[in-house]
Amino acid sequence: MLPEVGTAGGVSLFGRRLPREALVSVLVLGVLWELASRNAATLGIPPIAIPGFARIVQSLGSLTVIDVVVTVARVLGALVLSFVLAVLCAISMYQSPRIERYAYPLVRLLMAVPVISWILFAVLWFRQVEFRIGFVLVAVCGPLFLVDMLASMKGVSKELRDMIRSFRPTTVQFFGKLMLPAILPSVLTSWKINLSLAIRVVTIAELVGAVTGIGHQLSVAQELFSVADVFAWTFILVVVLFVLEAGLNQIEARLLRWRP
Amino acid sequence: MNGLRIEVKGLRKAFRQTVSGAFVMAIEHLDFVIEPGEIAAVVGTTGCGKSTLFDVMIGLDAPTSGQLLIDGSEPYADFDGFRGKIATVFQQDRLLPWRSALDNVCLPLELAGVPEAAQRRRASEWLERLGLAKFMQAYPHELSGGMRQRVAIARAFVLQPAILLADESFGHLDEVTAAELRDTFVALARECGSTAVLITHQLEEAIAVGDRVLVFAKPACVLADIRVADWPRERHAELRAAIQSTLQANRRDPRLQPSAAAVGSAVSV
Repeated sequence: MLPEVGTAGGVSLFGRRLPREALVSVLVLGVLWELASRNAATLGIPPIAIPGFARIVQSLGSLTVIDVVVTVARVLGALVLSFVLAVLCAISMYQSPRIERYAYPLVRLLMAVPVISWILFAVLWFRQVEFRIGFVLVAVCGPLFLVDMLASMKGVSKELRDMIRSFRPTTVQFFGKLMLPAILPSVLTSWKINLSLAIRVVTIAELVGAVTGIGHQLSVAQELFSVADVFAWTFILVVVLFVLEAGLNQIEARLLRWRP
Repeated sequence: MNGLRIEVKGLRKAFRQTVSGAFVMAIEHLDFVIEPGEIAAVVGTTGCGKSTLFDVMIGLDAPTSGQLLIDGSEPYADFDGFRGKIATVFQQDRLLPWRSALDNVCLPLELAGVPEAAQRRRASEWLERLGLAKFMQAYPHELSGGMRQRVAIARAFVLQPAILLADESFGHLDEVTAAELRDTFVALARECGSTAVLITHQLEEAIAVGDRVLVFAKPACVLADIRVADWPRERHAELRAAIQSTLQANRRDPRLQPSAAAVGSAVSV
């Protein structure tokens, strides 16, 4: 996606306005990189370690789109599943303090397990690749969604809860008409955090447990000592994250248009 | 819908304090009856248990002992049985900020399972009646305090409930707006035939709107039960002064019981 030239000293990129200073920083970094690449031998660095932009662009042209699609599909599928499970668990825990007392320590325990341990567990426990990756993503992102949602539900004002209860809603109505719309701003923030986390986690999971996806291609590039390919795939990952965040920002702007 | 009878018998409500664990008596002992279609104003000093009574009437809180019956049933015990029969106007408007004025008024109808077309028609009618025809699509933050409270009144009346409760609903507004909304509220309550309970700390408001004024001691018990029709308009100032002195006497000595606290023959239990 090409940046659109802005009118007030910046550019609009992926639905966000970037200030002039941010552009200058990126350009300076790019120039320094290119200079370092051209003078790698003089600096005593192997030229393969710092590929120039021409080489990285060449790598970008050879990337396979299907791997990008597969990674994005894994991320979005796992996030949707994590979100749905987290909503159901958060509602149960909000409704029943007893369930919360039993379940919350387990959730905290899950959150303390390092990502690499989840990946190793997945490789050891499951044979099916997609299930392994899904398991890792849900194990990492699900508890974060849950904790955020539960905290937000508890933060909904008593005044609004009493108001809607005075009209005697069913449980489904109570959550559908009040709680879920009330926590929507924090749910969207939670999605943004989990999106960037999931992109990083899925890459590691694919690196060790998959034969498709960006993580797998990074692994291949590493085996071929192709630093340019690593950079090209990394660039794609960053762009994918920005595009997905831009999509979320659009959804947020639409759903929260009521905010002053 | 016609109003329902409210009967309060030996009602007590105590709360356990979170930190100390000690019990605090919010309602000492309440006995009164409000007949169908009657408008009763409840007055008392701050912290006398008026709002606790409000929560028990809505059915959000159970009494510690005694009974509060609406048409013979307890709102807390028979919670779902009162769906669509009780509506409230709170101290603050409590509008949902993500809903337009129209959608806020539709809310009780949605919860009552009214078809969508009927919801929007009825909500629009009530907003028009309350002078908000041009603001149906406005979000709460785009409305003034008075307009938001009008939306809250429309939200209460759209159900045409048998019981209407208002908890210091106009006290935070300027005098002119408050008087205007209060008159609207009372006129609409009479038109709907609802039984209305208006909780307030303003004596003038209580005397102006109520068929009866219930004066509460602290903790809540009925110090005086006044039928306003017995007091000609020119004697309202005298009545106001008598209620005030009753409340002051109770504040000086909370042990004073109704008969002792009632000043002279001005008010009677």
